[in-house]
Amino acid sequence: MKTKTLSVLLLMTTFIVVVSFTFSKQQPKPWNVPEKNAKMANPIKSDAASINTGKASWAKNCASCHGKMGKGDGSKAAKLTTHPGDFSAAATQGQSDGALYYKISEGRDDMPAFKKKISDEDEIWSLVNYIRTFKK
Amino acid sequence: MKAHTTLYNRSPKAALVLFCLLGCLNFLNAQDSTGVKEAATEAPAAPKKSKPVPNTFENIWLLDNQSVMVPTKGSFQLDFMHRFGTIDGGYQSLFGLFGGINIRIGADYVPREDLMVGLSLTEYNLTWEGYVKYAGLKQTKDDKIPVSVTYYGNMAVDTRSDPTGGLYPHGSDRLMFFNQIIIARKFGDRFSIQVAPSLTHVNVVQGYYGGDTTADGKSVLGKEMKHDHFAIAFSGKVKLNNTLNLLLNYDQPITKHLTNNPNPNLSAGLEINTTGHTFQVLVGNYRYITPSRNNYYNNNDYKDGQWLIGFNMTRLWNW
Ligand code: HEC
Repeated sequence: MKTKTLSVLLLMTTFIVVVSFTFSKQQPKPWNVPEKNAKMANPIKSDAASINTGKASWAKNCASCHGKMGKGDGSKAAKLTTHPGDFSAAATQGQSDGALYYKISEGRDDMPAFKKKISDEDEIWSLVNYIRTFKK
Repeated sequence: MKAHTTLYNRSPKAALVLFCLLGCLNFLNAQDSTGVKEAATEAPAAPKKSKPVPNTFENIWLLDNQSVMVPTKGSFQLDFMHRFGTIDGGYQSLFGLFGGINIRIGADYVPREDLMVGLSLTEYNLTWEGYVKYAGLKQTKDDKIPVSVTYYGNMAVDTRSDPTGGLYPHGSDRLMFFNQIIIARKFGDRFSIQVAPSLTHVNVVQGYYGGDTTADGKSVLGKEMKHDHFAIAFSGKVKLNNTLNLLLNYDQPITKHLTNNPNPNLSAGLEINTTGHTFQVLVGNYRYITPSRNNYYNNNDYKDGQWLIGFNMTRLWNW
């Protein structure tokens, strides 16, 4: 009897530990954007030219991790320790343009900082505009 | 009989003049922008500073030429380049892939905005190159500056061994210089065009005795080729899709020499870009990789089918 309860308890604990670990891997840690940056207005109008620029830059710089449609299913995504997220979801779309711009520029862990790699600020704003097209 | 003559180079002077000219342009430009900045602090309504057009080309390399681009400050790039043998050998050399290959390994660094320095070693004649590239002018989005202008200067040293001293009697005989002004413009998202006149200076040329004598009876040594050689390169980029570009290039020699006039170079390539990586695969006539040698000595002729395959691979890091 006793051994049975014990093994059930053990099984449950293992289960919880394993599950919580898998979840903790997917659960993104909060990424705080300084208020000043989050409030920055997007100077680039989301017109066809900007979407085109954003799309070209996305294919060259971002799709390998974030996937063609921003679902987080790029060819390199499996090798990352943090999941790059699904950009069609509210978690990303709910953020301000300024916040997205800040995250792309500064990066964190697996997410590279692009402010040196993309020297043209307007191109980063166009990327923000392009990310908006993933919205469901 | 001494088969070489040595003339000390005059081209660094020309380079200096060009360099100063570009420097002045940049200085004027900088003066202008600080003026705008000051005005902006006083009156917030002052017009915004003109922004440079990005991605005229996506790499410092444009097949065998340099493009107008200099990466952002602090960038470090490694270059790996191969030129295979000419394809006219057919199956016997597997269309050049198994024939005389030439390889170059290079490193480029951008210590300050718009200035790149680099060092490379090419397999052919163990040639070291030291070079500088300076982006003096950049095309702006508002078209206030309609073209980008960059200076490229390259010094090459042939370091192959010469135990008897017969090849190079003087150390300076091993030097070649290359100076180029690169002018480019981007038209919309898909097209970029570049024109680049250049001056190659070779420190030593082949001499010959043509039978002429001086008043006191000594034979006069003639020169087969001039030390200075002008040429011009025309290049272009067509964006095929977001990561793939078509590159086209033509190099035309201008200076006429007594003999051994170099042939023009016609080349085309595909370029694939991702962040930090560029891969260019090309078909062309130039095999030396070193720009001075390509312009001065190219003896492959596209009219005789002397094409070769090559590729450029680069890895860029930004800090
Ligand atoms: C090497 C893989 C990789 C590449 C390339 C990459 N990202 Fe990311 N990105 C990530 C990862 C991983 C995260 C999650 C980071 C975290 O939360 O710590 C992320 C997060 C983001 C976020 C924040 C999302 C949110 O909901 O907060 C944005 C925005 C973003 N990336 C945009 C881009 C853009 C735009 C590019 C191309 C210019 C790009 N990324 C290129 C891996 C990548």
